[in-house]
Amino acid sequence: MAADPTLTVLLYSSIAAGAAALGAAPIAARGRLPVAWIGWANALAAGFMLGAAYALMVAGLDRMPVQGAAGAALGVGFVFLTHAVSKTEDLDLNRLDETSPAYGYQVLLVNSLHSASEGVAIGAAMAVSRSFGIFLALAIAVHNVAEGTVLSAILAGWGVRPRDAAGLSVAANVSQVLLAIVTFAIVSAVPTMLPWALGVAAGALIYLVMAELLPECYRQAGRISVALVTVVAMGMLVLFSGRGP
Amino acid sequence: MSVPEVTAVFGYALLTALATGLGAVPFAFVRTVSPSVIAGANAVASGLMLGASFGLLTEATRYGAWQTVAGAMLGVLFVLAADRVLQGHEPEFGAVRGAGARRMLMVVTVMTVHSFSEGIAVGVAFGGTATLALVITLAIAVHNVPEGLAISAVLHPRGVPVARCAGWSVFSSLPQPIMAVPAFVFVERFSSALPYGLGFAAGAMVFMVLIELLPEAYEQARRATVASLVSLMLIAMVLFQRYL
Repeated sequence: MAADPTLTVLLYSSIAAGAAALGAAPIAARGRLPVAWIGWANALAAGFMLGAAYALMVAGLDRMPVQGAAGAALGVGFVFLTHAVSKTEDLDLNRLDETSPAYGYQVLLVNSLHSASEGVAIGAAMAVSRSFGIFLALAIAVHNVAEGTVLSAILAGWGVRPRDAAGLSVAANVSQVLLAIVTFAIVSAVPTMLPWALGVAAGALIYLVMAELLPECYRQAGRISVALVTVVAMGMLVLFSGRGP
Repeated sequence: MSVPEVTAVFGYALLTALATGLGAVPFAFVRTVSPSVIAGANAVASGLMLGASFGLLTEATRYGAWQTVAGAMLGVLFVLAADRVLQGHEPEFGAVRGAGARRMLMVVTVMTVHSFSEGIAVGVAFGGTATLALVITLAIAVHNVPEGLAISAVLHPRGVPVARCAGWSVFSSLPQPIMAVPAFVFVERFSSALPYGLGFAAGAMVFMVLIELLPEAYEQARRATVASLVSLMLIAMVLFQRYL
């Protein structure tokens, strides 16, 4: 099947964004989730993200090590700045009892910025090869389910119904589709940008894991269970990316 | 394979082990020790170790992804077991007791165990001939310096003098010459063990970072500080290894 590659990017980034809706399912089934479950969902998301960052980093550095690493530093700087500018660098993202509109705005903003970086990851991976792009989009899709669960749990605290929480989780990931297509278009047009884009995505993902996901995990669940979930999720991605892009 | 050749491999691998001690040098210039310095040093060590394991995984998956991940899971179990054992006791490390001593012991243990796999990698890299010996030796020696840095970053802020930090760093690399020789002599047999060994080292390091170093870092420092240090150190380590 020789579909237009941009359509492939659209299709798979949409699948990844849409998968976030599934995250509301545990809330629909069980109502309020134990805090430890939210910690494990965060840890799962963190492990997948670290594995994806590893795969992107290897792909970027295999092409041009200096550009890949410089891109990664830019990715770190980008997320650092978006946190600083939006005054969310110390924001506790998982307060289940906080219902002020200002907090809600910040949580949705942070989630949208977070998924934008993942969009860059999908777009850059698709430009490496179709199979690597699909692999990465599916990894982000599973990651989004876990994140959808966390966001839905917060939204449930505000009295949002699971069905609507599912919709909002997808909405917070729309930036992913947009950034995936834009990144893919740019690196397809200017192939020398590819190692930079792979680096930016890898750096941003690593920073997001360290600044947003892991600090929450350790407060929500025990350090050993968090570490186990994270390392197993990361190992799965290393296993599947081991065949190489 | 002659005796002088084998001696040479041992000698070169010993030199690389000594280079690890250089990682302690920057700490000769660090005077203040506060909880935030410990947290920052933890973040630096975490980034270096995560970067090192990215490098190990890249190398190991070339020989086989399944074997790598199987090795990594063994590494995780090893650290988990070590953690359990140390939880039950009141560990001591120099003048430090309790949780701090546990982290110090864990770091030294994991880095030492990880050197066994690296020793195999060194021996296999010599590939039965010592022709590229000098290049490989230099590469591995330089690569060991940040590992000494990672160890010293954990030990020094908790009161271990610089000379001792250097000593422990060299100690952690001593398995390299010990393992390099048999791996060099029996290169065929050892190269099939390589993905397991390198995977083991990567799994152990990632897991130790996740259970020991990061939780403490987040307790004592701001997230943005921890995240920046970890990410930038990781990138630097990966780039550094790529060029060696």
